[in-house]
Amino acid sequence: MRVLVVEDEVRLADNLAAALREGPGFAVDCAEDGELGGELARQGCYDLIVLDLMLPRVDGLTMLRQLRARDNATPVLILTAKDGAASTIELLNAGADDYLSKPFDLGELIARAKALIRRGKGASHPLLTVADIEVNTLEQTVRRAGRLIDLSPTEYRILEYMVHRPRVIVSKRELLEHLYDYNWEHHSNVIEAHISNLRKKLGADTDQQAVETLRGRGYRLVAEPATLTPGSVG
Amino acid sequence: MKRHSLSRRLISSVLLVELVFAVAVIALAAAYERHAHMHSFDIMLQGRADALLGSVQDAEDPADNVMLDRTGLELPSEDVYEVRDSNGRLLGRSANWQGPDPRDVASTGNRVYLTKVDGHRYRVLALHGLRVVDPGDKGGGTPRHILVVYGARTSHMWHEVRNAIVFFSLSNLVLLIVTGVLMTWLLHRGLAPMRELAAEAENISIYRWKFQPPESAVETRELAPLASALSAAMQRLEASFAQQRRFVSDAAHELKTAVAVVKSSLQLLGMRQRTTEEYEAGVEVSLMDCERIEEIVARMLTLARAEHRNTGENAAGIADIADSAISIAQQFQSMAEVRSATLTLAVREHAFVPLSSEECSLLCSNLLLNALQHSPPQSEVRVVVQPEVDWVGLRIEDQGDGIEPALLPHVFERFSRGDPSRSRNTGGTGLGLAICKAIVDRAGGTIVLQSEPGQGTTAVVRLPRASEPAATVPAEASLQATPSA
Repeated sequence: MRVLVVEDEVRLADNLAAALREGPGFAVDCAEDGELGGELARQGCYDLIVLDLMLPRVDGLTMLRQLRARDNATPVLILTAKDGAASTIELLNAGADDYLSKPFDLGELIARAKALIRRGKGASHPLLTVADIEVNTLEQTVRRAGRLIDLSPTEYRILEYMVHRPRVIVSKRELLEHLYDYNWEHHSNVIEAHISNLRKKLGADTDQQAVETLRGRGYRLVAEPATLTPGSVG
Repeated sequence: MKRHSLSRRLISSVLLVELVFAVAVIALAAAYERHAHMHSFDIMLQGRADALLGSVQDAEDPADNVMLDRTGLELPSEDVYEVRDSNGRLLGRSANWQGPDPRDVASTGNRVYLTKVDGHRYRVLALHGLRVVDPGDKGGGTPRHILVVYGARTSHMWHEVRNAIVFFSLSNLVLLIVTGVLMTWLLHRGLAPMRELAAEAENISIYRWKFQPPESAVETRELAPLASALSAAMQRLEASFAQQRRFVSDAAHELKTAVAVVKSSLQLLGMRQRTTEEYEAGVEVSLMDCERIEEIVARMLTLARAEHRNTGENAAGIADIADSAISIAQQFQSMAEVRSATLTLAVREHAFVPLSSEECSLLCSNLLLNALQHSPPQSEVRVVVQPEVDWVGLRIEDQGDGIEPALLPHVFERFSRGDPSRSRNTGGTGLGLAICKAIVDRAGGTIVLQSEPGQGTTAVVRLPRASEPAATVPAEASLQATPSA
């Protein structure tokens, strides 16, 4: 998952980025003002935007309104230092999905970030299940048919992203955009290796392929065990 | 606390004045009535005594005596009289009298005196008259001196005087009552605009500053100044409250963000096991973040003080800004060397301004710090103090990146985020220029930043020139300390 942090206090932005990378293993980009934040957000490759309100150039609320006016549905978590019901109502009505008052708890921020991403992908439970694959997003563990599968962090992130989008073809570029921060192009050639490892680990004791490769289009997590045709694509 | 009623006071004053006049009028009227009645009483006495005198006739006897002929005389029965001739012979006397005390009528000449007859008060006239009796055909006759003493009861006269006084007193009492009632009603009506003004003023609270003076108060000449003064005061208070609220809100945001930095740094450290070096680095960073909070708080308090004094009287004192510029420049000399920038001073003479020396130093150091923080290596920062006739100019020029024109109007706003590179990244609090502006405003001066991107920035301060205080160090002595840089 890739998160955009728009916060002008550089030290706070750094801490947020570090926490989101270390904790749930998200890819994080930071923007120091609303103008840059808006530009980055419009690219649409973020699964969550963490937005401060008082920003230089374009303030957070304006940036949020502009984003929503362009039909960008990325979940937005507002960081605010101002309390008061009016401001909260205004924020939520402007299209914010959640808000946290400064100074906040990093653990709470991470939990809310995960919940917002989950909701943004249409899931409600932190335990995601596709066919016999079970992904626990809280513990970051994966089971297939009840058996615990040991994945590397990157493999886990790929699988988690795909579990959120079952039956949908996920392109390599989309995976790169959502799993790595702005210098994702450096990682482009490792995705295939990670997918291959993932497929091996998931299919270690079964002949059913969990991840299909659609040549030139991308990858798909196979949802229904019955529809699988063994060895259909390699 | 005892409350006074203005209308009650007004009414009482008017009634009191009216009462004094009424008493005076009654006293005057009483005196006049008494005088007038007494006068007509005396005329009546005179008339009746004359009638008695006229009734003295020749007795037609050989001794040539006179007698009192009372036929045709109609005198009130309660009156008393006595008629005697010059020999003291009694000619006649009213039945109800024993005659006057001889001492009262002894003297010659007419006189009026008071006496008591049967317990009643009488006013008595003793009239020495001349009666010619026995006139012959050719006139002449014998003149006889007659003494007529005539008295009448005074109770009637006094009764009338008393009636007059009672009449006047009653009329004045009625007048007083009518005045009181009328004044109460008229004052109540007349003071209605005041009550309306008070009612409107009562609606003011810290949540509702709107004050619309009622038409009636604005149209009243006596109330219009009060109404407009209240309006103006409310506007000033509202502006000041709005400023305070914004300050508190900005300060809250700034402090909460600063606290959020510390909290997140520490929580980040605790997210997983780390090496001792990582912990040490984390603690050091957190300590730095705490120092930043400390600095924000200190600066906010400085700003609050500077702005608070803004509303007070001009009593900060007088200081030499040239002196402050020199000592601050000396303090910043090492910082300039670290950044390999040159600090140049152009300060030739004393320049006294209506600021305290702390404020002068704060102004100079904030501006100089800003300039140095944005100076690239090998550039120059110039500090110029230039006294003019009425003004003192302070210019601090740097050769930094300058400020974008769009951001210039906002640089003096508190916690200004005009350009992140000018505040946060250089460790600023966004309060330095706001403090400068508060100080300069307080002294009645102006401060502007002139900047062109890439060309550097010049802070131009104009302060009113103050007269030199009596006891001061000679100019040459202190200016010798000028660094030659």
